[in-house]
Amino acid sequence: MLRLNSSSRRALWPYVLLFPGLVWLLVFFVAPLANQLNVSLQTGNVESGFSFSWHFATYTDALKQFDTQFFRSLIYAGVATLLDFLIAFPLAYFIAFKAGRLKNLMLLLVVLPFFTSYLVRTTAWQLILSDNGWVVSRLRDVGVLGANGRLLATSTAVIAGITYNFMPFMALPLYVSLEKIDRRLVEAATDLYASRATAFRRITLPLALPGIFAGTLLCFIPAVGDFINAQLLGTPQQYMIGNVIQSQFIELQNYPTASALSFVLMAAILVGIAIYARVLGARNLMDAAV
Amino acid sequence: MTSPTDPELDRIVERMLSGDEASRREFLRRLAGTGLAFSSSAALLAACGGVKGENSGGGKLSASSVHHPKVPIGDWTFSNWPLYIDKKVLKSFDKKFGGHVNYVEDINDNFEFYAKVRQQLQAKKSINRDIVALTDYMAARWVRNGYTEPFDQKNVPNAKNLNAALRHPLWDPKRQYSLPWQSGGTIIGYNKAKISKKPTSIKDLFNPAYKGRVTFFSEAYDSAGLVMLMQGVDPSTAKLPQILKAIDVIDKANKAGQIRRFTGNDYTTDLAKGNVWITMAYSGDLVQLQADNKNIDYVFPKEGGMLFTDNMMIPAKAAHPYAAETMMNYCYDPAVAAKIAAFVNYITPVDGAQAVLEKSDPKTAHNPLIFPSEQLRSSLHAYPTLTSTEEQQMRSRMAQVTGG
Repeated sequence: MLRLNSSSRRALWPYVLLFPGLVWLLVFFVAPLANQLNVSLQTGNVESGFSFSWHFATYTDALKQFDTQFFRSLIYAGVATLLDFLIAFPLAYFIAFKAGRLKNLMLLLVVLPFFTSYLVRTTAWQLILSDNGWVVSRLRDVGVLGANGRLLATSTAVIAGITYNFMPFMALPLYVSLEKIDRRLVEAATDLYASRATAFRRITLPLALPGIFAGTLLCFIPAVGDFINAQLLGTPQQYMIGNVIQSQFIELQNYPTASALSFVLMAAILVGIAIYARVLGARNLMDAAV
Repeated sequence: MTSPTDPELDRIVERMLSGDEASRREFLRRLAGTGLAFSSSAALLAACGGVKGENSGGGKLSASSVHHPKVPIGDWTFSNWPLYIDKKVLKSFDKKFGGHVNYVEDINDNFEFYAKVRQQLQAKKSINRDIVALTDYMAARWVRNGYTEPFDQKNVPNAKNLNAALRHPLWDPKRQYSLPWQSGGTIIGYNKAKISKKPTSIKDLFNPAYKGRVTFFSEAYDSAGLVMLMQGVDPSTAKLPQILKAIDVIDKANKAGQIRRFTGNDYTTDLAKGNVWITMAYSGDLVQLQADNKNIDYVFPKEGGMLFTDNMMIPAKAAHPYAAETMMNYCYDPAVAAKIAAFVNYITPVDGAQAVLEKSDPKTAHNPLIFPSEQLRSSLHAYPTLTSTEEQQMRSRMAQVTGG
């Protein structure tokens, strides 16, 4: 019988703890990904079947054909993430430092919309932004929209929808990192003759960086692949890469192209994150997190 | 209705003999239109290349000697589209014939449903359903690939009530593998409050005054079909290049901002809310839309509309073909068909249903959306029959247009 001495048993222990997670990743992440890679290199059609053929041209063809939707997705998701930050930062700041007894109630209000389905929330925006609705009529009255102008089925509506739907993903991480900040650091800064603005810039903002980083990723990544907002609030001129993948996969059953596009999307996001982490400074992030 | 001695038919035969492919199809269609059942039609079709497919001649089950013995009904499964039957019909079927029908509303889209069951079908395994209802082009795909079990006609005597216009589709000329469930028209719906002058033509969808207030169907068979009618092309015999040309017209209108969205069944919300003023619409939806909103009206365009039919079929290797046939026979009883038609508001394929409703529900019996006159009915055109490659090209091109 094999007997392990206590030190090697201790060395094995982390792997035992990791085991369930690794199995999970293997079955539900690595295996499907390998399958997806396989499918993306197949050729054929749904009626006569697909076969593996190292067909890398699927990637270049797909990129050439759908580059517009790709860039559109990045831009929409980018703008929505920025808007989310501009909305959520003051909100999270207020909840963390000024809300007092109302803190928990306000946090609940931020997540409350999540108690209804994503689809229902987005469909509700169809009614709010409807051509004959109150919002559009008032905007026409004040001349923001022309007499025949509309909000629904425009880029504005799609970006607004994404911004709305992903806002809590930004607000919550921001709140968590702001809430952790020791207020005495700000006091110390002002004692040392820093203005409130300087204290904010030199103390609060850097300490909130992990939250900003997490919030941006949590917003941006799902937003790039989103197709519900473009589908319900937009037109074909607003379709994003998620719509293309959806239609290639479900409607046209062009599985290779759909898989290739998903891969490219994933790769693009990974590269984006790497650059972003570099710019923000992974070291800073780690320091701030400690 | 054409008679076999129609001089036009003679002309078509002449053209056909000189090798014109289009006239071959036209000939067959017209012949079918006369209700002339000829025994060797399937062979003739195969020879003409009317229903070509990769697997043609391959896995297709022989229809000649089908015998499904009478057995207890048992527990069996019927897959259909949502809200497509009066559920009372299912209850009375169970009561009358015993057993239990497991009725699942899991068909939301022909291609999506096909993707779901494709692997079992191709492996020649049962898909655990005894009836599926699929639209013409998908039904054609199933028949040509041998994914369907032929009927034992002796178990479906009521099939004699099938409307003459639907008896001989190109893809199943003798209705050995399929029986229509309901038909519907793709026509035009509009909002009277927004459009004062009653539209009459498919051209009205392209009227610049309605820019951004028009929706089209994302399904190329419907959208391109209507546009071809506008161009004076008969969609049921159209060839791929003509279809692609029609899609180009849609592309241009879309780029000009004329078309607000491409939709499936979800066009109804925009129309009811007044966001969209004029749209391609399915006849069955319009009955409901009109009931909910007095401003919604419809028009059968003067160029004609499209006619689609959802067809009941028994998937290959189904465990309960006799139960399936008994149900089909039951639904082809005019009294039962009348109940279904009054509930779903689509066009029933069963002759005699209107006569039943004349007594019980005259309002429904006289609604042209549910029981179009002979003249309106003949203005509706069947979808073209395409090979799988052609179909794929058409749908890919359409996806380019609808995908931005």
